[in-house]
Amino acid sequence: MRSEPIVSAPLGRSTSLNEMRALAAVIRREWTIFIRYPSWIISLLIWPIIFPMGYILTARALSGVDGSGLTQFQINTGLTEYVGYMAVGTMIWMWQNVVLWNVGGALRNEQMRGTLESNWLSPTWRFAYLLGASVPQLISMLVMLLVSGLEYAFLFGVKFQGSLPLTLLVILVSIPAVYGLGFAFASLVITMKEANAFVFLVRGIVMVFCGVTYPLAIQPQWMQNVAAWLPQTYIIHAVRSAALSTEGFQGIAHDLQMLVLFGAFWLALGMAVFAWMERRARQTGAIGQY
Amino acid sequence: METLSTPTLASHLRALSALIRKDWKQYWRYPLNAISSVFHPLVWIAPVYFMGLAFSHNGKALGFAQYSGTTDFMSFILLGTMLENFINAVFWGMGYALKNDMDSGVMESNWLTPIPRLLILIGHSVTNLVVTAITSTGMLFFGGLIFGFHPTGDVLTALLPILPMMIGLYGFGFAFAALVMLMREANTMVDLSSFLVQIFSGSNFPVNALPRYLLPVALALPLTYGLDSVRARLIGTTPLVPLNVEMILLIVFMFVMLWIGTAAFRALERRVRILGTLGQH
Repeated sequence: MRSEPIVSAPLGRSTSLNEMRALAAVIRREWTIFIRYPSWIISLLIWPIIFPMGYILTARALSGVDGSGLTQFQINTGLTEYVGYMAVGTMIWMWQNVVLWNVGGALRNEQMRGTLESNWLSPTWRFAYLLGASVPQLISMLVMLLVSGLEYAFLFGVKFQGSLPLTLLVILVSIPAVYGLGFAFASLVITMKEANAFVFLVRGIVMVFCGVTYPLAIQPQWMQNVAAWLPQTYIIHAVRSAALSTEGFQGIAHDLQMLVLFGAFWLALGMAVFAWMERRARQTGAIGQY
Repeated sequence: METLSTPTLASHLRALSALIRKDWKQYWRYPLNAISSVFHPLVWIAPVYFMGLAFSHNGKALGFAQYSGTTDFMSFILLGTMLENFINAVFWGMGYALKNDMDSGVMESNWLTPIPRLLILIGHSVTNLVVTAITSTGMLFFGGLIFGFHPTGDVLTALLPILPMMIGLYGFGFAFAALVMLMREANTMVDLSSFLVQIFSGSNFPVNALPRYLLPVALALPLTYGLDSVRARLIGTTPLVPLNVEMILLIVFMFVMLWIGTAAFRALERRVRILGTLGQH
């Protein structure tokens, strides 16, 4: 018996199946590019160690030979140790940073390679280009978070006294906010064409306001007010609470609530900005320019 | 008029000036990037400032002074960051520029022109160095306004160790650029190496605060002595070794790195031509 082809509709006719095929093709392509450069292994293994190391060693220098600075730190912040605290903060910052570069820069990279315009003209679901770039990135980031945790425990001696399921829950709930921002960012970047400046701005805001390496209480009140509007503040606090303390669900309940709200907001905004950019690109005809 | 096909010193200088003009034009084409390079280093410094406050009593980092000889940790860090910008300019200016050429598809055609290859690399770094000088001055100005910068020494004397340090860095930059050509990947290598150098040369903290097993790495880096020397001359920190010994070390480093860097570049570039991968990325 002759079997019918599973997929008969061409890409020219838009069906859900075609959209999924386009998405799968983009994921495959992004994955191939990702593993083509073996340096990703270095990024995965080495960055989680050396990035927090800069801050941890500065804290060590500030502590002084006799530990008098550390005593002052304990008086000022109420924290007993800083290594785990900084390791978790910098780990979340790295996650957002990589999403901004990779997901946020996905369309811009296509623009620079000169393939964006031709892809845009093909009868495919355009959001697939962005979504497809996010999938391999999300997988690699989840692996990186896992590797980071192991490295902090074994190399830095961080004691993860909290709960692994709660930590995973926080990471899961954080995904829409982190990637929603990446989607909105990607659309803005191909319109404004200055990816570096935008990445520096956004990751800079996270670095300065969200308490990556120090407690928020150290900041002036106006900075604490700004931090309250940034989802990364809640992600960092929640992961620290879930992984390092024994507070349990109570310690992260408020953060989770805020992250759900921020996630919905950023995902909606990300898709809205993408739709706006898509329309604008057709009106101005400038999508191929860089 | 001479053409580039009969290379002379004048034709080399024309080629160099064309490269610089092209990079300059390209850089200022994206003005937001230029503005961000003034403020971006301040973003890295801001968390350290708040961290420093958490470790201080009445604004004085007494613990920090035990390692560095000064309680003024912000001047220490601002100065380190500014010097680090210049160090990065050589990393980025050459290795990263080659990667950009590869991605834009002009690497192979540029390589076929009758210009010394090292001249292409130097040309790529000049704009970067000029831009770094402009943006670092801006960074120091705004950083000084926000966090405070209090130099106490003589600026001209402090500039002395920078000269051999930067020339020596060119040697390193040549070798690194060749490695980028061979690996066809720049971001990770540039980020990683510059970050490691930043940590081990003590741009944000005195290297004697490193754990004992890491200290030899810092002491093996000539840049450590460059940063240390400038700080000791400008903000009065305690130097690791006497200042004249640091100067001799930097001069020796300059000659050794130029020699090693040039030789490494020639060998790797030859390898890339044998492999025929120059146009690939």
